[in-house]
Amino acid sequence: MNGATTLERIESFLPERSVRIDDVAESLGLRRAEVGVFRKIYGLDRLRFDPGTGLFDLVLPAARQALKALPEGRRIAYVIYAHTMQTLTPPHIDAAQVIREDLGLPDAEAFALTQQACVSSLGAIDLAGELLRAEAPEGAYALMVTGERAYSPKVQLIPNSAIMADAAAACLVTLDGPGDRVRSHVTRTLGEFAAGLDMTKEQTQGFGRVYGTVLGEVIHRAVREAGLRFDEIDLVIPHNVNLVSWRQTIKDMGADPARFFLDNVAHYSHTYASDVFVNYTTLRERERLVDGRHYVLVSVGLGATFGAMVITHRRRSA
Amino acid sequence: MERASVLSAIEQALTEVLERPVTGLTDDIRLFEDLHLDSTSILELLMALEDAVGISVDPEDLDMEDFRSVGSLTGYVLSQQATSEV
Repeated sequence: MNGATTLERIESFLPERSVRIDDVAESLGLRRAEVGVFRKIYGLDRLRFDPGTGLFDLVLPAARQALKALPEGRRIAYVIYAHTMQTLTPPHIDAAQVIREDLGLPDAEAFALTQQACVSSLGAIDLAGELLRAEAPEGAYALMVTGERAYSPKVQLIPNSAIMADAAAACLVTLDGPGDRVRSHVTRTLGEFAAGLDMTKEQTQGFGRVYGTVLGEVIHRAVREAGLRFDEIDLVIPHNVNLVSWRQTIKDMGADPARFFLDNVAHYSHTYASDVFVNYTTLRERERLVDGRHYVLVSVGLGATFGAMVITHRRRSA
Repeated sequence: MERASVLSAIEQALTEVLERPVTGLTDDIRLFEDLHLDSTSILELLMALEDAVGISVDPEDLDMEDFRSVGSLTGYVLSQQATSEV
């Protein structure tokens, strides 16, 4: 079956507990000057971080909220749990199955995607569309969910890059629905940085050197494949890694910084695969998303995959 | 602030960032080649100096030429102090 992938409902969830980066500095082993760099240069300030929230308590609220947009009589064919860290639960617990069961979707096929780390969520939306086109009954839906906790200092600090935080999101996907239309999805993977968090200092520096250029190219390619020019893009809705990386990328692209929504970097920091959806819901609540205009969802996953998805927003009643 | 005081503050900031005692700096000592700082530790040094000498670094207006040597860094700090006093 043909048809365009459409995003019928995007929801996000943030734990109430908000801390300053200074509050997690000791557990992360950050010296005062390092905290200063994260605050002043990287633009981080606060993050949501609640060690008392369980994984499923974090993931399920946004998923339940998104499911409310499922029309009567329609069914969810796939639940795709996109996350960054490969291991989030003990081996005997398959998180995707637990999410499916807790959502009351016994007929859905549930699985996880992690290989693209923090950009796995965009890949999961693309895959949901492909599966719906390839094999699902007409009118079926897929639910993409994200959400993982910064459960250990080892997965909370990306040295010289980011301080990870808690959040979750969900996206209800179908084909040719009235929601936001996916116009393109582009990824580029640089395998030489596959070691991710275990990269050597030289590899990390090499990654830093190519980051802005490659990310800019991926964004431009996604815009071209959507049949658009960059000046037709209303806003880039990015991941919240830090302001330095984005300043460099924006400079490399020769783009107007005002077209990049970076307000949430200081409020929420980088929430693994959830950022772009958290930022989308912030923009929607501010009534900043305009019917018929085009937006680029962008993220980068350690490992390293750069991803961009162009969507056309379509306003609909909540 | 006088040049000697700034130099002393740079020594203290370097001691904090490099986590080893740094004393006896002279203007010709190079930050990258001789002290083995990198682009990240330079930023940490600036943050440590912000508190110590009362300057405010503008992250969008950094020129790596200012950080080639102890002498050029001292000049940078003094010029930032002059700016902040205007």
